[in-house]
Amino acid sequence: MPPETSLTKVSPAADTSAAELAGLDALDTPTVTRTPWWRRAIAVGLPPLVALVLSIAIWQILWAAAIWPEFQLPAPITVWQAVESRLLTGEVFSILWTSISRAFIGFLAALVIATPLGLLVAKVTVVRRAIGPLLSGLQSLPSVAWVPAAVLWFGLTDATIYFVVLAGSIPSIANGLVSGIDQIPPILPRVGQVLGARGLTSARHILLPAALPGYLSGCKQGWAFSWRSLMAAEIIAAGPLLGVGLGAYLKQGSDLNDISMVFSAIVLILVVGIGIELLVFRPIERRVLRARGLAAGV
Amino acid sequence: MSTTTSAVPVNDVSATAVRLAGIGKTFGSGADAVTALQGVDLDVSAGEFVCLLGASGCGKSTLLNLVAGLDEPTSGELVRPTGSPSFMFQESALLPWLTAGRNVELPLQLSGLSRSARRARAAELLSLVRLDGLADKRPHELSGGMRQRVALARALAAATGPDGTGGGVLLMDEPFAALDAITRDVLQGELLRVWDATGTTVIFVTHDVREAVRLAQRVVLLSSRPGTVVAEWQVTERHGAVGEQLHDDITSRLRQVIASHAA
Repeated sequence: MPPETSLTKVSPAADTSAAELAGLDALDTPTVTRTPWWRRAIAVGLPPLVALVLSIAIWQILWAAAIWPEFQLPAPITVWQAVESRLLTGEVFSILWTSISRAFIGFLAALVIATPLGLLVAKVTVVRRAIGPLLSGLQSLPSVAWVPAAVLWFGLTDATIYFVVLAGSIPSIANGLVSGIDQIPPILPRVGQVLGARGLTSARHILLPAALPGYLSGCKQGWAFSWRSLMAAEIIAAGPLLGVGLGAYLKQGSDLNDISMVFSAIVLILVVGIGIELLVFRPIERRVLRARGLAAGV
Repeated sequence: MSTTTSAVPVNDVSATAVRLAGIGKTFGSGADAVTALQGVDLDVSAGEFVCLLGASGCGKSTLLNLVAGLDEPTSGELVRPTGSPSFMFQESALLPWLTAGRNVELPLQLSGLSRSARRARAAELLSLVRLDGLADKRPHELSGGMRQRVALARALAAATGPDGTGGGVLLMDEPFAALDAITRDVLQGELLRVWDATGTTVIFVTHDVREAVRLAQRVVLLSSRPGTVVAEWQVTERHGAVGEQLHDDITSRLRQVIASHAA
């Protein structure tokens, strides 16, 4: 290669290239259209509201048709009165508090146990082979199956309740974290490595944030499982040592043949389950997904 | 071989940034062993821009991993750059949960720089790649070309260190291959401008002869399976008939190398 002429390698006129680049950026940048909050609120809030009103209407019609006797299907208004009377005495709040505090303490304990467990299963091959299948199997075991065993081990105490809640939610949370880690694009850990993140630093800066969406959906499911398990445990394990939670309240209603009490308990259980999902998990999940440009339909 | 004409802006020709002498790399052992690299000799001076050209299986990724210190050679002598390695890939590989600015800050954060210092340095680097004021954007709010420039800024942050004197080497693994033709063309110009401005050493892997001739001061052709250096060209000019001639020379040699694998 004869180097007869030597032109310098300077870039073309800097202004032109800057303008070209700015033009390309302007043309290629994804456009984001933002809908106003009230329109979003209507779009999100209206359909479930209509569905709720419709189902109450159908309930009212079925009751009015008197197909079933009153002690099997109460009127919507009687159920509301059952809730209202206990609202006025404050009994509802103590019942709700008993159950919700149990579910939250149980859920938080499950988080503390399941997170390192999930990390271990995801990152250590031997551990994954050993307990991975068991962990996903446990997810399909209804946690109510643990209640008889727990009663024999711990008697009718809070320990029984917490044991059942933990057994219900730990597998979901751990599995969520495992699948979150499995779905990390392989390029990200590699980037972390070339940028100088090893071991725990890599877990903190790369692994955990990258697995966050999967982990969150595991947490959401874990909450649902811990709430369900708690209700099962409270219904079966009722005793003088245990405070009256929603499950025990439901059981009382059944023992007293008071169908409006039973219905009001079911409604309250539903309201708490949906409420926690909407008020706690949905906003967190939405924020996390939005920040990553993943929140199309959330 | 590694002397270049003075017209080319090389910051410090005397210092060697990377030296590979008789480097070999074999994966596995026994009958299953695969030799990715064999007897690779390559010297890269500090501030030099070298393109590695080769067909599939030339072991370019293995070579970059060795230089970056992600892997160890089986044989030969390897002198690594003094600074931390920095990589740029075909995909921008930005962390989607961090803003553009925080992505650029990450290597500085990992090396323990204070928050205000790394923020200032990230702003400086983003402005160098002409992304002023976009530090708060998330990767998904940027176009492909902009993301690749953020990745370039991040790689520069890792290569040049907190004060811009880290002396690292920028390892680029087909960084523009996934972009459309116009964006690629503009970004090639941008890369040259940034290289001029920072004086980092660049080892750039590509399949594209035209890209290699346009960007590099030196084009190194690798054969495949196992990868080894078969030819080198100095590039002292980029435009006009001589550039075309060089492009044709390199292309025909590359085709020879590929044809030799037919058997």
